[in-house]
Amino acid sequence: MTLEGRRIVCDYGPVRALAGIDLHAAGGEIVAIVGPNGAGKTTLLRVLSGERRPDRGEVTLNGSRVSGSDAAWRARIGLVSHRTGLYEKLTAMENLRFFAALHGLARSGRKLTATLDAVGARGLAGRRIEALSRGQRQRVALARSLLHDPEFLFLDEPFSGLDPEGAAGLERALVARRNDGVAVVLVTHDLRRGLRLADRVVVLRRGRKVLDGEAAEDEAAEILDHFTAGAPDP
Amino acid sequence: MGSTRVRTTGLLLAWAGIAAILLVHWMVAFWVPTEAAQGVVQRIFYVHVPAAWTTFLAFGIVALASAAYLWLEDERADAAAVAAAEGGLIYGAIMLISGPLWGRIAWGTYWTWEPRLTLTLLLWFTYLGYFLIRGSVADPRRGKRFAAVVAIVGSLNIPLIHVSVSWFRSLHPGPVVIKPEGPTLHPDMLTTLLVSLAGFTLLFLGLFALRYSIELVGRRQARVEDAALAGGVS
Amino acid sequence: MMRELRWSWLIARKDLSLEFRAGGRLLSMIAFVVLAGFLFGFALDKSQVPGRAVVASLTWLTVLFASTAGAGRIFDMEEEDGAFRHVLLTPVSRRAVFIGKTVANLTLTWLITALSFVALTSFLGVRTWGSLAAHAAIFLPGTIGLSATATFFGRMSRHSNLGDSLLPVLTFPLLAPVMFFGATASARVFMALPWDEISGLARLLWAFAIGSVAVGAVLFHHVTDE
Repeated sequence: MTLEGRRIVCDYGPVRALAGIDLHAAGGEIVAIVGPNGAGKTTLLRVLSGERRPDRGEVTLNGSRVSGSDAAWRARIGLVSHRTGLYEKLTAMENLRFFAALHGLARSGRKLTATLDAVGARGLAGRRIEALSRGQRQRVALARSLLHDPEFLFLDEPFSGLDPEGAAGLERALVARRNDGVAVVLVTHDLRRGLRLADRVVVLRRGRKVLDGEAAEDEAAEILDHFTAGAPDP
Repeated sequence: MGSTRVRTTGLLLAWAGIAAILLVHWMVAFWVPTEAAQGVVQRIFYVHVPAAWTTFLAFGIVALASAAYLWLEDERADAAAVAAAEGGLIYGAIMLISGPLWGRIAWGTYWTWEPRLTLTLLLWFTYLGYFLIRGSVADPRRGKRFAAVVAIVGSLNIPLIHVSVSWFRSLHPGPVVIKPEGPTLHPDMLTTLLVSLAGFTLLFLGLFALRYSIELVGRRQARVEDAALAGGVS
Repeated sequence: MMRELRWSWLIARKDLSLEFRAGGRLLSMIAFVVLAGFLFGFALDKSQVPGRAVVASLTWLTVLFASTAGAGRIFDMEEEDGAFRHVLLTPVSRRAVFIGKTVANLTLTWLITALSFVALTSFLGVRTWGSLAAHAAIFLPGTIGLSATATFFGRMSRHSNLGDSLLPVLTFPLLAPVMFFGATASARVFMALPWDEISGLARLLWAFAIGSVAVGAVLFHHVTDE
């Protein structure tokens, strides 16, 4: 089970966000996509998740093309972004129940509470999202992304705004999923965290891949060089 | 057909159209007999009727090209749609200005709920919306798609608008309508009208082809510049 | 089919409960409708123009203005914290999303319609209403067409940096037939004309209603997906 992007090109009008990226993510690994702002990380994530159709190139899963317009594909993926994507006027439980129902799952209250407990959001079920802290919301959002046991988990800057405790909890949850065989694709501008957490780090710069490899601390310096190399962004 | 050939064809058509329109102005001013019932003002019709015809020709092209764009996502279809829509907006404006000018003298009022005039006004606003939505969406690809949807929905609505404006007129009998293009049209008048129709159509097709080729070149230019930047803009 | 209906129902129910919990917005909409009725009544010289002659047109206009404003709002709630992206990432069909949103919008539009009707007839001093069942038979298809159109373009205008100012430009030309058929038919109901003289207009309103829902359902994925 390998998700594979080949020669992905993405344009926003005259701006080329991705200029021919190859990338793969297999079950049971965490792939971190890191890079400075405007490197094309989020666009790449949207292409991999099928939300955005690339202008050229394709994303395939075991050889067949992946598309966001395919409901069967959407049933297999989960997403956490820096915007929590929850309804503020609904409680955590109502949010989960709504999204579970859209997935066609009749989840009992107890099961949903267990999902919340598993991500460290114990006791939040009955509270409205507007009354929760940033870290608590992010945990509910994570619970939502895991409701339907996705095989692919996409995360777009999930750590932004989290306190150290919340970030550590999120990291544990991601590692647990990875160990269950889920393919985790993580976008972050935080290189150190990416290195620590991921099995493989992909470094993007100006829409191009400048590094793709096993992550190890000793490579950090080299990767950091890539960040600072060359002329400053226009 | 390459864009150079499109441009050459466009130039030829446009010059032929301009020549015919100059000829029409001479005919209208010095050659065609004055219509007995309405007098000099009837001569506006040699501008008004061809403008109306080209407006609908243009909007027809927009609707077809937009449907093709949604179906095939071919940039050329979008380029054709936008080129025709610009022409339609301009010819529509000529129709909407010349109609009331004639109406002021013939009917004694600037605005009448003449079905075709009303229909054109509503369509004109629909195509104004076409350009507004196109230009105001951050992602150009999405803007093109939205514009195409507006064009299609707008054209689907034409029959209902037509029924409503015809019905509306029957409720409010306006001043007596004199049909200038009745069967009793003087042969010289018919000749003038036909020359004018040909001139307007040729000029429109010429401008359409020119605009289309410019649109294509512009899009290609953006690509080339982009590639020269050695990989994307951050 | 059952799945689609269930999705639509989920979305409509969620939208309505959000709308009712954010009470302030609903209240401001109600205030808008009542104030509009009041101002129409205030601004019209009723010795020159009898209220009965204009009440139908003004009701339709109030409903049009209030419901196009509401359509944008139904997507504002979705965009609050990027929730709509997550809705679209579930297997839910775009058709079902469109129908659900239209139903939510329609429910609010009915509320607006009933309020406008009462406010305008009161402030314009219209005492004879004609048949209420006939009024309902006109407003039903009219508001369906209105809500479907407003929902469709409401989603589109969310992506535009012109925002709410764009929505009327996109929808009013399309809704011109609804305004005409609806206002004419309602005026005839107020005049207590026999249904035979109204049914033709009702059929045209149904044509628009069915057409706009069908076209919206077919094309909606073009305005949601990238």
